Amino acid sequence: MTGRKVLMDFEVTPTSHSLDDYRARGGYEALEKVLRTMKPREVTQEIVDSGLQGRGGAAFPAGRKWQGIDPDDGQPHYLIANADEGEPGTFKDRWVLEYTPHTLLESMLLSCYALGVRHCFVYIRGEYDLPWRRLDAAVEEAYAAGYFGENILGSDFSCDLFVFRGAGAYVCGEASSLLGSIEGTRAFPRNRPPRMTVRGLHQAPTVVNNVETLATIAWIIRNGASAFREVGTEKSPGTRLISISGHIARPGVYEVELGYSWARFLHEDCGGVLGGRPLKAVIPGGISSQVLTGKDAKVLTAGEVEGLTLDHEKLRSAGSSLGSGGMIVIAEGTCMVRLLQIMLRFYHHESCGQCTPCREGTGWMHRIIDRIVAGDGRPEDLERLNYIAGFNDGTTICGLGDAAGYAATAMLDNFREEFDYFIEHKRSKFAGNLE
Amino acid sequence: MTAIFINGQPVETGEHTTVLQAALANGFYIPHFCWHPALSIVGNCRVCVVEQEGRGVGIACNMPISDGMRVLTDSDPVRAQRKAMLQFILLNHPVDCGICDKAGECALQDYHYEYNGEPAISGDPKLPSTKFFPLSERILLDNERCILCSRCVRFTREISKSNVLGLEHRGDSMLVRPAEGRTLDDDPYSDNVVDICPVGALLSRSFLYQSRVWYLEPTPSVCPGCARGCTVQLWHRKAEWRVKGLDERHNTRIHRVTPLENPRVNGPWICNKGRDLPELLDRPRATQALQKGETVSLMQAIEAARGLLDQAGKRVALVSSWGSNEELRAFRNSLGDYFTSFVKPDHLPLEGEVVEDDLLIRADKNPNTRAGQDLLGAGVVQIPEDTDLILVWGEGTDFGTLPRGAKILFLGSWLLPENGHADVFIPISIQTERRGHYTNFEGVVSAFEPCQPRRDGVIDAETLFPLLSAPGGSASGGGAA
Repeated sequence: MTGRKVLMDFEVTPTSHSLDDYRARGGYEALEKVLRTMKPREVTQEIVDSGLQGRGGAAFPAGRKWQGIDPDDGQPHYLIANADEGEPGTFKDRWVLEYTPHTLLESMLLSCYALGVRHCFVYIRGEYDLPWRRLDAAVEEAYAAGYFGENILGSDFSCDLFVFRGAGAYVCGEASSLLGSIEGTRAFPRNRPPRMTVRGLHQAPTVVNNVETLATIAWIIRNGASAFREVGTEKSPGTRLISISGHIARPGVYEVELGYSWARFLHEDCGGVLGGRPLKAVIPGGISSQVLTGKDAKVLTAGEVEGLTLDHEKLRSAGSSLGSGGMIVIAEGTCMVRLLQIMLRFYHHESCGQCTPCREGTGWMHRIIDRIVAGDGRPEDLERLNYIAGFNDGTTICGLGDAAGYAATAMLDNFREEFDYFIEHKRSKFAGNLE
Repeated sequence: MTAIFINGQPVETGEHTTVLQAALANGFYIPHFCWHPALSIVGNCRVCVVEQEGRGVGIACNMPISDGMRVLTDSDPVRAQRKAMLQFILLNHPVDCGICDKAGECALQDYHYEYNGEPAISGDPKLPSTKFFPLSERILLDNERCILCSRCVRFTREISKSNVLGLEHRGDSMLVRPAEGRTLDDDPYSDNVVDICPVGALLSRSFLYQSRVWYLEPTPSVCPGCARGCTVQLWHRKAEWRVKGLDERHNTRIHRVTPLENPRVNGPWICNKGRDLPELLDRPRATQALQKGETVSLMQAIEAARGLLDQAGKRVALVSSWGSNEELRAFRNSLGDYFTSFVKPDHLPLEGEVVEDDLLIRADKNPNTRAGQDLLGAGVVQIPEDTDLILVWGEGTDFGTLPRGAKILFLGSWLLPENGHADVFIPISIQTERRGHYTNFEGVVSAFEPCQPRRDGVIDAETLFPLLSAPGGSASGGGAA
């Protein structure tokens, strides 16, 4: 199996998402312990010590983010769980929301306690129906059991939670744009500075964390930071939920201990490439990732995958990252030109249109690749794609523009001859299309 | 005081908080589309990039100043990125400068020559979009030219607070559109969006295809539309571009009115009434002096007026609140002793007009009430029944309400039926024909300059008043023969 477990440490049954089952496996014990014995700053310190990294894509240390907030500064703070999981190929948070929503709720209570938050939000994407129903039912159960509301468990800590359903815009997964969506304005990403921990939701300091990041916190508080550090590697402690899809025999959500061998994960745990074909490439962390810092969407070729381990440093040194944990496996025989076309169509469709390079660049690249696929490609098109992609990268307010740029650059760098072939022969190098 | 280095030169930033403001204030130009000093920062055009040494390229409009930071406004990466941004902006821009009213004062045009200067990289046809979308009776929107900087949207949200404009759709199909069921007619400041549009996307219907801007020059003036006294620029043809085939009136026509930025009065804005100033000033003019409806020469009319003045025992003056400070002073010095004077409102709010609001518009629709009342007192108009002579200066008085027995000496600029009913009518010049000052309701004095030649047969009120009280004509009466 894929190493030690933090989140998938129970058997999924028809009732495992209910409060009773969660209590039976030790749920809400951490909350009671914290409310009785710990101060808010001690909770934050515990998270800092655990070395927990953000699971949304940027792998920013969660504790460092929290330290940007002073729980005693007298102004309101907000905590938002980002469940707007819109990244193509990513569906790991859905598992948490569907099978163990109380883990998220307990973790959010602990986080609110640490950050001095009175009102917290879960921003869930509109397309998630079952996850939303499960989460909503869990919130009702938790309110009925007195875990939310005024004076929780007899302490003087009060906290309310609101579940906010998005309307299906990919850009709302970007943390600052999500704030706009909750506030009721147009969901445009915001310029930094100011950072969200200085001025976020309703101009108050705000922490936005990924669902998986938050869900891990209950385990850390229950078992201690040192226990968490023993899982995973030294620099990337813990586990990752990986949602694997594409040309793979057993797609789904897996919990993988960081530092696990990638080849073993692909070929043994997931049953290898579909139909026994050779591996061509892997997109490791969603075609981009929700929060972007590095070369997130870079495609790894088959040769690069062998010998890599699944942790943040190794992938970063290979020029990629675990991103949002949405792994897409691509078998030999897939046309990368068509694949890039699909990716660019997505970025073009989802670009919010706020800043120039992304608004114009994504559409421009999409039209060029459409033309290439239609057989009207010109030799100078690839240079043009490279130029546009280069200036989409790092020039925009949020990461969506960067991601579109990376996608094109990575594909062109690694599979240039397929593009040249397509332009020259006006057809794909491979007989089949994407399956 | 924080010191930063721009292109190696130390710069005192003063009270500025961003690199762009500090650079502009110190003479380092950084191109920008979406940033406007009076609007919030959105940072969406991505053109105002600068390089912060050691930290890479970023947008200057949202880059906070930190002590000792070193900024380059013209390094290689900065130039490359600006060039790319202009390529992106011009991707679907029609570049129809030849028929665009903004050409000549268009930021995109200027920046293209200054920072890009290359033909489009794209070989694909440009995408069409809506042209001539009516935002209101006054403004058209050309979505092909629009670069989505959102200045107009922010203006209606942050300055005029009408919240009419918004953005519709997403990505490169995004469009500036009015909110559902509304138009920009709801906004009495709407024409400002035409000025702040950095390209020719927002077009004023009254100026549409009227003139190329490089044939025009501005004359500083003051809007007489209300007591705010906004400083404006009146745009008319340059002398060297006069068309011989056109008559003088067309050559000196005022083509448009724009705000003249003045932080003490109106900031960078004016209201739509100020934009319609040409309509007010283009009304038919009175150029003929009249005596009981009969045409007489100007000198004869002045002579007759003197006669009225001498014969009258009880005299009342209704003083124009459109007279300049100079004219009002001349009136007081020359005729103040002869008359019981009242400053009257020449114009009252029209039906449907915004009477007063929090931004600029004032309820008093006359420019110089304050100066008149300072000089002549703020008394309420009261005309005794036994008045012999009434001097009516300026429009807005119904002669039917005046005492029957009183003679009327009327000084006016416009062709009105009342002119013939007055005992003596003397045509006087208007604001665009003379130099002068107005004092606004807060006591701020602003100057206006002439931009049109004085009509024949018309006299300045400032010259007229001393003539009316000149020695030889004043005391004995009829002595001017």
